[in-house]
Amino acid sequence: MATNIPGNLKYTKEHEWTLIEGDTVTIGITDFAQSALGDIVFLEVPEVGTHLNAGATFGVVESIKSVSDLYSPITGEVVARNSDLEGSPEKINDDAYGSWLIKVKANNTSEFNNLLSAEQYQEFCNSSH
Amino acid sequence: MTTLKTYLYDEHLKLGAKIVPFAGWDMPVQYTSVKDEVLAVRQNVGVFDVSHMGEFFVEGEDAEQFVDAVLTNDIINAPMAKAVYSPLCRDNGTVIDDLIVYKLAPGRIMICVNASNTDKDFNWIKSKHVGYKCSLTNRSNDFSLLAVQGPKTYETLRPLFSELPDIEYYSVYETTFEGESVIAARTGYTGEDGFEIFGRHETIKALWQKLISLRVTPCGLAARDVLRLEVGYPLYGHEINDETTPYDAGLGWAVKHSKTKFIGKEALADKKANYKTIKLILDRGIPREGYPVLNSANEPIGIITSGTMSVVLNKGIAMARIQIDKVPTDEVALVDIRQKPYPAQITKKPFVTGGHK
Repeated sequence: MATNIPGNLKYTKEHEWTLIEGDTVTIGITDFAQSALGDIVFLEVPEVGTHLNAGATFGVVESIKSVSDLYSPITGEVVARNSDLEGSPEKINDDAYGSWLIKVKANNTSEFNNLLSAEQYQEFCNSSH
Repeated sequence: MTTLKTYLYDEHLKLGAKIVPFAGWDMPVQYTSVKDEVLAVRQNVGVFDVSHMGEFFVEGEDAEQFVDAVLTNDIINAPMAKAVYSPLCRDNGTVIDDLIVYKLAPGRIMICVNASNTDKDFNWIKSKHVGYKCSLTNRSNDFSLLAVQGPKTYETLRPLFSELPDIEYYSVYETTFEGESVIAARTGYTGEDGFEIFGRHETIKALWQKLISLRVTPCGLAARDVLRLEVGYPLYGHEINDETTPYDAGLGWAVKHSKTKFIGKEALADKKANYKTIKLILDRGIPREGYPVLNSANEPIGIITSGTMSVVLNKGIAMARIQIDKVPTDEVALVDIRQKPYPAQITKKPFVTGGHK
């Protein structure tokens, strides 16, 4: 599958992308993920103020025929959610990297070292699919 | 376990289909977008490869009597060249499968069954094939099958066949495509007008290629499931299974007690249901198979058997199996989605009205 993996972002094996700015992390799902899901029709993300644990589920993204959990790449607190996606989650299909889901303030920035580089994520996509 | 492939498998790969295992077969689940494929069938015309389904032939002077004795619906009194939907039951009234009988000619019947049940059905019917002057053959491996569905099906198909009269819904006509015989039935599982074309593998492959060249939209199993759910059709393995009776699944209309005999007649005589299959529509949230259904007092009353986002309505829709003594009288239920109750309206009508004749 041809897929778009920007070099300035970090990734997870759960097909999420992250943009790190100081101790704040913007989270979305990758182009690979949106393509695999197909038409996205429903999104559930936590309220601002919710505490997230690294590796735990924090929401779901649903296509017409499937439900997929979202996994938090880091531990921290939700400081923003993307209101542009409420009622129109299909925007993720159109622009996965322009459609962030939430922003999280990290408790411990050393967790950033666990994230994959674009090259590592590309390799992961190639090897697992 | 090795999975089976239909004769059109390479055609699906050429079109970029996503392939999934289904009922022991590697089948195309979607080509481009489920949404686009659903809308093609509702508004225009789409084609599905459903060659995984099974075909049995019953031939000989007792063919009608034999099939009528095995199935719950009335086969003998249905007119020639008609298709008849029927459950196939055990002696205890539970459903082995639901299937379609095609009365091709006097003493010549084709039965089309669900792919996952082909062997189970054939073995059961074979075990009842005693003392009748007719043959019973499983010809599933000889046939490929396309479902061409949507309001523009007839105008698309008519020029391709030697003859194709504008036959009624649920009837069947034997004709030829490029000189090869095919069986054309005005049936389908989408609620739209359409034909199902049964023929030899090479013939059906040529027809598939012709339809793709005419820009008929190839559609996968995901679109097929959304389409059948939007019009409220039950599906074996979901609304119907080995433990339910036709009455549990709302199929009592296809059980004809006026017949002198059929398998399951005694067990089904009281017409009693343990469950009611209901339809639910949600303003928010998408119901999925297995989610619990609650009444307005938050008490569990049943389970979702099929659920999806409706492409036409852009709302969550579902069918649910509810314990017969717990069916809500207030037309309201709740669906437990990830431990949160989402309100659902109970509706009697199909979610979407298909355009079939």
